[in-house]
Amino acid sequence: MLEIRGHARGGQGMVTAFEILAKICSQSGEYHVQAFPSFGVERTGAPIQAYLRIAKGEILNRSNVYNPHLVVVFDETLIEQVPVFNGLRKNGAILINTERDAKEFADQAYKVYTVPATKISLDKDLGSKALPIVNSAMIGAIVKILNSDIESAKFIVGENVPAKRKENKEAASIAFNSVVGNDKLNEYLLNLINQSEEDLTEIELHNKTKAEEKKINLKDLPRIPFWSQPISSNKTGSWRVLTPSYVERPAPCTTNCPAGTDVRLFVKLTSEKKFDEAFRAIYDYNPFPSTCGRVCPHFCEQNCNRIELDEGLNVGAIERFLGDKSFKTNFQKGKLSHYEKVAVIGTGPAGLTSALRLTQKGYNVTVFEALPYAGGMMRTGIPQFRLPQEILDKEIERIEDQGVKLILNKKVTINELKDDFDAVIVAVGSHISSKMNIPNEEIVIDGIEFLHNFKLKGNKFKLMKGDEVAVIGGGNTAIDVARTALRIGAFPTIYYRRTRKEMPAIAHEVNEAHSEGIKIEFLTAPVDLKQNSKIDLTLIKMQLGEPDESGRRKPIPVSGSEKQIKVDKIITAIGQRSDEYVFKGQKVKAKQGRIDNDFGIPVFCSGDMSWGGTVAEAIGSGNKVAEEVNAFFKDLPFSNEKFIENIVVPSDINFNYYLPTPRTQNPVRKTKSYLNDFGEVVKGLTENEIVIESKRCLHCGDCYSCGNCFNYCPDAAIFIDDENRLRIDYDYCKGCGICANECPCSAISFQLEEAIDE
Amino acid sequence: MNNNIQTKDILKSKDNTKQIVEKYPRHTLKIIKGNFAAAEAAKLCRVGFVPAYPITPQTSIVERLSSIVAAGELDARYVNMDSEHSVFAAAMGAALAGERVFTATSGQGLFYAHEVLHAIAHFRLPIVICNVGRPSLPWNIWSDQTDSISQRDTGWVQFYGESSQGVLDAIIQGYVISEKLDLPVMIVLDAFYQSHTSENVWVPDSDLVDEFLPPKKKNGNEIDLNNHKDYGGLVPPDHYETFNFQYWRDITKVEELTDEIGQKFGEHFGRKYSAIEAVNIGPKTKMILVALSTITSTARGVINNHPEVGLIKLRLFKPFPVKSILKAFENVPDDTIVINIERNFIGDKEGAIAHEMKHALYGRKNKMYDVYTGLGGKDVPPLTIEKIIKKGFEAPEEVMWIDFE
Repeated sequence: MLEIRGHARGGQGMVTAFEILAKICSQSGEYHVQAFPSFGVERTGAPIQAYLRIAKGEILNRSNVYNPHLVVVFDETLIEQVPVFNGLRKNGAILINTERDAKEFADQAYKVYTVPATKISLDKDLGSKALPIVNSAMIGAIVKILNSDIESAKFIVGENVPAKRKENKEAASIAFNSVVGNDKLNEYLLNLINQSEEDLTEIELHNKTKAEEKKINLKDLPRIPFWSQPISSNKTGSWRVLTPSYVERPAPCTTNCPAGTDVRLFVKLTSEKKFDEAFRAIYDYNPFPSTCGRVCPHFCEQNCNRIELDEGLNVGAIERFLGDKSFKTNFQKGKLSHYEKVAVIGTGPAGLTSALRLTQKGYNVTVFEALPYAGGMMRTGIPQFRLPQEILDKEIERIEDQGVKLILNKKVTINELKDDFDAVIVAVGSHISSKMNIPNEEIVIDGIEFLHNFKLKGNKFKLMKGDEVAVIGGGNTAIDVARTALRIGAFPTIYYRRTRKEMPAIAHEVNEAHSEGIKIEFLTAPVDLKQNSKIDLTLIKMQLGEPDESGRRKPIPVSGSEKQIKVDKIITAIGQRSDEYVFKGQKVKAKQGRIDNDFGIPVFCSGDMSWGGTVAEAIGSGNKVAEEVNAFFKDLPFSNEKFIENIVVPSDINFNYYLPTPRTQNPVRKTKSYLNDFGEVVKGLTENEIVIESKRCLHCGDCYSCGNCFNYCPDAAIFIDDENRLRIDYDYCKGCGICANECPCSAISFQLEEAIDE
Repeated sequence: MNNNIQTKDILKSKDNTKQIVEKYPRHTLKIIKGNFAAAEAAKLCRVGFVPAYPITPQTSIVERLSSIVAAGELDARYVNMDSEHSVFAAAMGAALAGERVFTATSGQGLFYAHEVLHAIAHFRLPIVICNVGRPSLPWNIWSDQTDSISQRDTGWVQFYGESSQGVLDAIIQGYVISEKLDLPVMIVLDAFYQSHTSENVWVPDSDLVDEFLPPKKKNGNEIDLNNHKDYGGLVPPDHYETFNFQYWRDITKVEELTDEIGQKFGEHFGRKYSAIEAVNIGPKTKMILVALSTITSTARGVINNHPEVGLIKLRLFKPFPVKSILKAFENVPDDTIVINIERNFIGDKEGAIAHEMKHALYGRKNKMYDVYTGLGGKDVPPLTIEKIIKKGFEAPEEVMWIDFE
């Protein structure tokens, strides 16, 4: 009697294959066959076995095959997971579905056959890469080993497969001709079929190994079955095709912060009341948290995944709270550890940030500022009612305390610095206003100059209480100008050539302007002005056409729609460019980082002059340029390119596990009259409110030990280790994916890969 | 006795049709598994009503039957029921109307139908079913006879077999016996070892079966729209025993009828059957193993190497074939030991086979031993049988858990 044992994964068609083989072997009518599987509740992918007995006489054994003469392996990954060759007879043979060399298995059996059944089957589109259906190919290979006729076998295969008859028959045929190692007839196997007496000589071997198995101790057994841990004897890890693992993913709040701040981290620390740590986490990237908490558009909030549940997190309020709380925080003064000296031109956020970072790295840094006061646009361009002076003062003071040297009242060119320094960072900003290019433009007030002079010198540019003021533009400058004019007592109206949707100004600033009573006329632009007793301003209606280079729809004047209004003052805020004084003598195309021009000293650009336009972007630019300068000095590779993949999106989040909670908005101070009222309009939140708000964070991509995976794992294969970490026991994990599905924050990846257990 | 491998294609179909046909004329050799053989048998017996509900490991019986009925190969009404209790209730209804009924179940399904099993038997309805054996609890889907054996007292006749051929043949004989005595018959299969094992099965031609099993005749007790009756009312103490008495009279005929029909089956189809089979039992036998279902096959192979060991294969289990056993033991010496092999657990010290054998051999002096093995589908390989024989000769205990050290 010949005994064959097969090993495969559920779903590969082995059971059917053995049934078909039984039919093939019984064709002649001379032989008795017995084919049956051994499985229970295994699902697709789990290891299963099947048996086939062929004998001339009646088969008097109805138990599993323990000492096969031929072992057939449908899936070679089973070899490591299951003892497939157990009990194989001394002169036995093995057939493995593999493309590897038969020599690699030579020590497992007397005779090794291989066949590339997976390749053959996938070529015929039978099954998938994750679970190829190799049964017809394997049948062909076994038929070859048993030296039987493939044509009649093919016929039987065709009659017995549920689908793809042609492909299955072809697979069998090709495999029949692709068996490697069949150099001669395997007489041993073929003789066995005709042997009438069962060869029991090797049965003793099996007997011995069985006796060595662990004896069952009754004291260890429960009276009725229950499970709080996986069953030690059933290591179902071998069923796994896809593997889950805890993998941190980047969160959109962090990836959208131009300064690079790890938003998710500082929000988490805040929720744990670790305010100092949280502040330092911000400071690693952003040295102006109090400022940014107030004036940033909060790109983090705009991309917060929680928007899909109820409302995004109020990150700005948290940042502001931490910044305001931490003015007394001590930082170590930067210790000089390099000989290189770096000059920075401009004390705006880009200049100060890059200076701070280089000082922290141990460089000797001096920052030159043309104006009598430091802060750049933060100082000159943002009104008091948005950013109080003392807040900015404290943040700059903190930077000076760390060893950054500021020289105010000194406007410089690069040429003047090249002998005393080893590198120059130019961060002069972009504070020169664009022109409207309409007649009589000289009588128009420059919005940026207006804000600067009014805030720091009290110069009203002759704006009077009651003046009708036309403010041209749609950005933050226009809004700030209008709100300042309102507080002087004037009546500002903003004219913008596109619609609300295209306005570059921060949304809540526009809302505040609106609630203060400032009117905005959209799709309107100036075309002509003339000074008479008042200013006659001619405006024209616009309509939106195709998008221009900025991606926004181009405004096109509607001919014949001109109207004339009389105003007392016109203030423009329609765009900015940089002051080229610093580059005296050379034409420079400014960009982030080292510029190509030869000044006799390496020159790097940063801030508004190279890109961006917000404080956060300038800070991010400052961080990057400092790194670049450092890399330059150390002759290290540097790249501005940074590609972040696998960012968590709302569809990754399982919102069922988060309680809808409204966002705590910053309270807005309302008053009847804004006349001469330059106090801060938007207030901060209390510590209590901050902690509650920070707890609304979803922790995108960052495990926060909610325990869902632990609770739901049906195999109890997730446990908590001695260090209180959640871990997956890959001996049992079947790869069902429930943990990945129920993880609220998408901190579990679920891939076709080997298990990684750190 | 090895043949030389001269022929290049030893497994190829030569022109052996003559040889095949001659073995069992008017049969076709097929390689099918036990569950499919059961469905084939139901088709050959031209059953008219199949109520069905799935449960591992019998599901492919009712699934195959649904294909057969859907393909028009069997003219029967096939009904999906909502549970096994409903399945058997529906079977009862159809049988009361005079239909030839067939269905299948296992384990918890059989337990669910328990009260209806009583009803069917005591309403004297000739239904034939297959039960693919499963244990009780803990939960398990593998080979064990606890389920069918625990239903011994419901009044059903029970047959056990060894092979897929045995299943097919038993169902045909089952209808003959059940319709003759108006008693329901349960054909029990071993899970996986019979249900899912593909092997050589000689499937008789349809007309050959028709000659043996004619269409079901009405016996006058059926539901008759022209002659209204109510069934199943309360029976007061004065008359109760008359029903039991009639049942008793017929159940005591089963053993003899089994042998008679088995003999006739052999004459008609070429394969003979009987209530039990005594293998290698005579004056020289020192040990007799008693087994049920597929363990029997494995034991047959093992005792080939042990001339002093005999085997009783129990085919009819309920009513227990006492006469046949006593006949087999006629020439057995008093010191021959009997070892009962239990693949069942009925909540008592000994298993069911020991209970039955003790009552059959009442008065005899042979020492009786009991062995639990294969419970919950644990494999019983030849080695285990060897172990039983060895232990039986060396130091047997009254009840032995042979795999449990």
